[in-house]
Amino acid sequence: MDVDAAIGAALRAGRGVLDEESGKRVLAANGIGVPASMSVAGPDGAADAFAGLSPPLVAKVVSPDIVHKSDVGGVKVGIGSAAELESALREIESAARAHTDDIEGYLVEEMAPAGHEVVVGGSTDPTFGPVVMFGLGGIFVEVFADVAFRVCPIAPVDAREMIDELKAVKLLRGARGGIRASEEAIVDTLLKVGGEGGMMLSLEGKVTEIDINPLIVSGNGAVAVDARFVLKRD
Amino acid sequence: MGGDVRPSAREAGIRERFRPLFEPRTCAVVGASTSKVTLGNEMIRHLRGMEYGGAVYPIHPRAGEVEGLKAYPSLGETPEPVDFAYIVVAAPQAPETLAMARGRVKYALVVSSGFGEREERRGLQEELLRAARGAGVRVIGPNCLGVYCPNGRVTFIAGSPRDPGPVGVVSQSGGLGVDIVRRGGTRGIRFSRLVTVGNSADLGANDILEFYAADPATGVIGLYTEAIGDGRRFVEILRDLDGAKPVVLMKGGMTEQGKRAAASHTGALASDGRVWRALAEQTGLVLVDTLDEFLDALLAFQFLKPRADRPTRNVVMFGNGGGASVLATDCFARAGLDVPRFGDEAVRLLEEMNFPPGTSIDNPIDAPGGTLRVDDGRVAGRIVDAVYASGEPDAFVMHVNVPVFTLSYDQEADYTAHMVESSLEAQARAAARTHFLLVLRSDGSLQVEERKIADRRKVQAMGVPVFDELPDAAGALAAVRHHERFLRKRRR
Repeated sequence: MDVDAAIGAALRAGRGVLDEESGKRVLAANGIGVPASMSVAGPDGAADAFAGLSPPLVAKVVSPDIVHKSDVGGVKVGIGSAAELESALREIESAARAHTDDIEGYLVEEMAPAGHEVVVGGSTDPTFGPVVMFGLGGIFVEVFADVAFRVCPIAPVDAREMIDELKAVKLLRGARGGIRASEEAIVDTLLKVGGEGGMMLSLEGKVTEIDINPLIVSGNGAVAVDARFVLKRD
Repeated sequence: MGGDVRPSAREAGIRERFRPLFEPRTCAVVGASTSKVTLGNEMIRHLRGMEYGGAVYPIHPRAGEVEGLKAYPSLGETPEPVDFAYIVVAAPQAPETLAMARGRVKYALVVSSGFGEREERRGLQEELLRAARGAGVRVIGPNCLGVYCPNGRVTFIAGSPRDPGPVGVVSQSGGLGVDIVRRGGTRGIRFSRLVTVGNSADLGANDILEFYAADPATGVIGLYTEAIGDGRRFVEILRDLDGAKPVVLMKGGMTEQGKRAAASHTGALASDGRVWRALAEQTGLVLVDTLDEFLDALLAFQFLKPRADRPTRNVVMFGNGGGASVLATDCFARAGLDVPRFGDEAVRLLEEMNFPPGTSIDNPIDAPGGTLRVDDGRVAGRIVDAVYASGEPDAFVMHVNVPVFTLSYDQEADYTAHMVESSLEAQARAAARTHFLLVLRSDGSLQVEERKIADRRKVQAMGVPVFDELPDAAGALAAVRHHERFLRKRRR
């Protein structure tokens, strides 16, 4: 896909961020796993979308006005049939209508396999330029600020140290009966965001922040379930 | 200390470029008075005190003589071109002062303040820079205090040590630069060079850091900064240095509150403390929070040779003061260090030594004054021998409660010196590479402080760094450990 075209289109439309679908295409173009997905214009597209994907599925609204989709009823998960998908899309549509008239469509995705929710991000430090961040999802990032930073570019040893640095690292390693997350998949994603030639450096000057939240890490891989690219405006 | 720096044309160029700043052949002082003692007069007197051998030219618009030296009306009219000019005129006069240099001055250090620290005066700083560029002068400052280099026989601080050492420092703050030289000097730190850079209108911390990296006289680098300027260049320099020399950074404005203080102090725009900590992991940079931690880390690096193959972790502690050593054990643990129990062989040998009652022979060894007096203090060497019998620890921290050896009636021998001497002999016998540190704990009374100063001098001459308290030694060892862990990581 043409990353520059997607960024240019968003900027021309007066948006400071890439929509979720474009964001995931940028991730996929950079070798980061994203769920198989289809875009549909409305509930009528349910049958086609269901035929092309393996359930269980997730459906999400696509609107420039809605950033936190699940907060407004814009996401439905665990969809197992075409009929369920169609009614899920109708429910999402009516929930979203309460917030905006600008609904561009819907994203239907395969659900990620079970795993740990982690966050991989990038931002631009005023002193040091691009930096990369890693943390566990949910309260670990939001409440405890249990995250590790490094200045780009990072080497594999830096990525491994970022994992070691988390206070909650034992959870990733299977504490309390959880699954043991693939650290190789995390290292790989961190390098694709913050390594030599990673997105923070290759997109520098165009993208100021990347937020892969959550990245679902299972025992043998990682899938980006949501992605946000903040664009640099002139 | 540090690593060998491979000579290269680029590094030779950097060294030659900075020679006139630190080892000037001619100095000019603008702002010395014929009627009162200004910082300019002080500068001339400091140069005399250091027995500076080059020519000193006071610059004065009218006087024929200042401080007993022939004066000249402007920087452009001295008999010889000037390597280093010290400028203490009021800020609005500084640009014109530099403009008069007409290509005959290499470096001008501008002490005057009232430039970029406040928004409305930024224009004056621009004007200063334009004047300097036009006259071919490189500027240090403005809003700083001076340069100290024992080898160049220049200083801006009364009573600064005359003998050189391996520690090179850049301080954004002038006042803190004075503290670093004075307090650090008292603790035994010896400097290759120190420069205060103030507002860094032209040359800044990065330029000096790059020079220190290439400078064979500098083996340890200390930085105090509130805003590093070009952060990416800073990272590049540290990545290129790759741990060849330890770098200790005291960063002002790390916290939100600190940031506000920094903004009103030197117009610093600080960034998030987390990113600095990330950088410490990525480059081996040692971060410290206080002046005392800064000095203790520099002192440790001046004396101890970092071990890339075995980062410091296991510490053996012995000395008099049971409570102090128990508290210190917790403190070492918090610093990421261990005070582990001894192996069986060490315990057996220590038991065989039949110490006086009250001696605890596991780690930390609590040896009361009576025990430390055995063999006039040389008992320490036998204790070290016994410890080595069960393997080599990474560090020995000996501690002496100085009043016991100053105020009691038994002052027959030079116990402290004997302890250290015999311990070092034991280390040589074992061909070990243990870091040795001594803590001289004082009660602050005049008599004890005098004894402590004398003991410190004696012990540091043997190559063992001396600290005021056990937690200070723990902090210094943690700094060494951080650097060593980075070195090991790079070697993998």
